[in-house]
Amino acid sequence: MSLPSGVFQESYGQDMAIFRTKAHWVLLLAFLVLLFAMPLYSSDRILTILTIMGITIISVLGLNILTGYCGQISIGHAGFMAAGAYVSAILTAKLGWSFWAALPCAGLGAGLVGIIFGLPSLKIKGFYLIMATVAAHFIIIWVILQFQNITGGADGLSVPRPEIGGLVLKSKASYFYLVMIITCIAVYLAKNIVRTRAGRAFVAIRDNDLAAEVMGVNLWTYKLTAFFIGCVFAGVSGALLVHYYAYASTDHFPFMNSVWYLGMLIVGGMGSMTGVIFGVVSLKLLDEAVTVFGPMLAAIFPAIAAQAAASLGLILRGLVIILFLIFEPRGLVHRWELVKSYYRRWPFSY
Amino acid sequence: MTKFRLFFAVSLVVMLAALLVLPACTKETPAPTAATPAPTPPKTVTLYIGGTFALTGAYAEDTAAVLAGFEDYAKYVNENKKLAPWRTETFPADVKLEVLWRDDELKPEKALTIFDELKAKGMLVYRISGSQTALPLMNPLNDARIGATSMAAGPYLLSPPKTIFTNYPLYTDEMGAIADWYLANWKGTGKPRVAYLTADSASGRSIDIPEMEAYLTKIGYEFVGKQFVPMVPTTPPTTQLSWLKDNKVNLTLGFMINPGSQPTIKEAVRLGMGTNLDYKITFGFAAPSHLAVFAPAMGTLGDGVVVAGSYPPMDQAHANVPGIAFYNQLQAKYRAGKPVTHIMYLAGIVEAMIQTEALRLAALKVPADQLKPVDVLEYGFYQIKNLSTGDMTPPLTFGPSDVEGADVMRVDQDQNGQVVLLGNYPCHGIYKHE
Repeated sequence: MSLPSGVFQESYGQDMAIFRTKAHWVLLLAFLVLLFAMPLYSSDRILTILTIMGITIISVLGLNILTGYCGQISIGHAGFMAAGAYVSAILTAKLGWSFWAALPCAGLGAGLVGIIFGLPSLKIKGFYLIMATVAAHFIIIWVILQFQNITGGADGLSVPRPEIGGLVLKSKASYFYLVMIITCIAVYLAKNIVRTRAGRAFVAIRDNDLAAEVMGVNLWTYKLTAFFIGCVFAGVSGALLVHYYAYASTDHFPFMNSVWYLGMLIVGGMGSMTGVIFGVVSLKLLDEAVTVFGPMLAAIFPAIAAQAAASLGLILRGLVIILFLIFEPRGLVHRWELVKSYYRRWPFSY
Repeated sequence: MTKFRLFFAVSLVVMLAALLVLPACTKETPAPTAATPAPTPPKTVTLYIGGTFALTGAYAEDTAAVLAGFEDYAKYVNENKKLAPWRTETFPADVKLEVLWRDDELKPEKALTIFDELKAKGMLVYRISGSQTALPLMNPLNDARIGATSMAAGPYLLSPPKTIFTNYPLYTDEMGAIADWYLANWKGTGKPRVAYLTADSASGRSIDIPEMEAYLTKIGYEFVGKQFVPMVPTTPPTTQLSWLKDNKVNLTLGFMINPGSQPTIKEAVRLGMGTNLDYKITFGFAAPSHLAVFAPAMGTLGDGVVVAGSYPPMDQAHANVPGIAFYNQLQAKYRAGKPVTHIMYLAGIVEAMIQTEALRLAALKVPADQLKPVDVLEYGFYQIKNLSTGDMTPPLTFGPSDVEGADVMRVDQDQNGQVVLLGNYPCHGIYKHE
C-alpha cells in the first residue's frame, strides 16, 4: 500500500502492516461503525442485499486465492459451496449439531472435496483445468442428489437457523451481523494468507509455474493448498447461505453462479482483496438495479411489456464483463488505486 | 500503537457480540386483526397483487403469459368491480387492484430481496415463480404470514403445510392420475412396466419419492427405474430413451417443460418410440408440458403424449367453457390485435383470481385500508372454498392444512395434433407430508 508523502516506515513490522497510519485505523473504524450500524437505518431489503453480498464476498475471496493468486481457474466454485452447505445442513438438521460446530466442518469438508478435484491441476492447466472444475460442479450436485436419505435429494433439507445461547438468529439484523463478522474475519484471513510464504508461492505459480518449480516451489503442495483454502472459503459461504434460507437445495447452487463469481473477479480485479469486494458489490448492485428498472422499462414500452425486462440482467452483466475485459482488465481496483494516488499527490498530480 | 490495537480489538469484539445477540430476540408471530364489520373506507385504497416472476430463463415464455393474465385480470376487476362473468359477488368499489412484479431470474437470492422490497411496498399477497425461488421463500413467507400463489407444485410445499397455495395438483398426484388412466386402459399381458423420464431439476426430481414408487407398485405396475433429462436438453436424450427401450418400458412419467418435452419426443419418434410406432410406449408428463403448447408445435409427431393437471385449450372447441369465454373476452378488450395465445395466460388469470378472492374475503372482515398480510391469510386464503375458475381448473379449496387447491384434474392426450380430454382423475395425495 502506498503512503501519503512524508510518512516513513522505520521497521520491517511497520512496513508489512496492513494499516500503517492512524488515519488508516480511523477510516477502518469509521467504516466498521457505519457497516454495523446499518440495521439501525436500513430496510429489510437493504439488509438482505448486504447479507447476500457478504456471503458472496466470502466465496469469491476463496476463488480469488485459487484463481487470482494461484492462477488455477475454477468454474466449479458453486459446487464447492454446495459441498460445504450440505455438510453443515446434514450436521445440523440430521445429527443435531450446533451451527457453530458445523460451520468449520463445512469449510473443512469443502476443502477436502476441493483437494480431490484439485488433483488434476497437477497434470493439467488452463482450459483443461476449467473443464475439470466444471465437471466437479456437476459431480458434486449429482452425488448430493443420489444420497436422498441423507441429503433429501431434490426435495432438499430444512435447515435450522443458528442459535446463540438459546436465542435464534432469526431476524434480518442478527443474521446480517453474523455474516458481516464472518466476512470481516474472512477478508482479514485472506489478506494475510497471501502475505505468507504460501501466498508468495501461489503468485510464483500463477506467474510462471516452471520458473516457480525451478526455484524450489513445490507445485504439488501449493496447488492443492490453494484448492483447499479456496474451497474452505466456499464451504463456509455455502453453509451461511443455506442457514440463511433455512433450507438446503441443489437449486441454490446453479452452475451459472460459478461463472458470475469469475465475472466478479474480472470486474473487481483479480489478485486483490479490495477487488473482490468491488466486484461483488458492483455486480450485485447491477442485479438489483435491473430488478427495479425492469418493470419501469415495461411501463415505458408497454407493447413489449415483460419482454423489456426479460434477460436484461443477463445482457447487462455479460456486457459489463466484456467491457472490463477490453477496457480495464485490471478491474475496478486499478481505477480505485488511480483515484487514491491522484488525491495523494494533489495538487502535484500529473 | 500496540495498546491502541489491543483496545481497538477488544472493543470491537464486545461491540460485535452485543450487536449479534441483541437483535436475535425474534419478532412475535403476527396475529390477525380482530374482525370488525367493514365500514366504508373514506378514499380509494390500492391493493397489490402479483409478486415475483421468472421472466428470464427456462420459464420466461410461460411467465410472460402469466404476467399478462395478471395485468388483464386486474384491469377487468378495476373496470367492472366484478370477479368474473360467472361470479355474482362484487369487488369493493373503493378498492383498486394494481399488479406489482419483479423478474427474479429464478435466482433464490434475488427472490429474497424482491420479497423484502415488495413486502415493504405493502403487498398483502404474493406469488412465487418456481421451485428454485419457492424453497428459500417458504420460511420468510410463513414467518411474515403472507399467503402466496405458486406456479410450482412440488411436494416440498407440504412439509409442513405453509402459506404457499397451488392451483395445480402436486406433480406426484399428476403422475398418479396418468398411471390410473393408463392402467385402466392396459391391454397387455402381465404388469405394465413404468419408469420415470423426468427433468434433471428440483421439480423434475420431486416425483422421485418412495411414496410415488410405492403407489405405482401397489396399483399394479412394475417399477423399472428412472432416467433424467436436462430441463432444456442441449443434445437429444438418446441414451435415456434407448435405456427405456432396452428395459421394455411401457409408460414413462415425469415433469418436463415444453422446451424439454418437445425435443425429447422428437428424438423418441426418431428412435421409433411412441404409441403408434414400432416400439409401443406412452409418455406421460406433468402440467408444465401443457398440450395446448405441445400439440400445435409438434403436430402428429407428438401423438399419444399424455399430460395431467393442465388447463383446457383456448380453442374454438372450448369456447363455451366459461373460463375460455372469459379469456376471449379479456383478449378482445385488452389485447386486440396482439393476443396472448400461450396457455399460461390462463394460469395468470387463475392465480390473480385466487389472490383477489383472498383480498376480497379479508376485506369483508377488516377494512381494506387496515388489512395486514396475516388477515388476508386467515380471513382470505384459508376461507377460499370451492372457488369457481370457470372450469379453467376444478373448484379450488384452501385451508391451513390444505395448500393443494384442486382435488381432481384433467388428463389430456395429443391425438393427431389435437388435445383430447381423456377424463378427470382424482388427486390421491400420494406425498405423505410430515
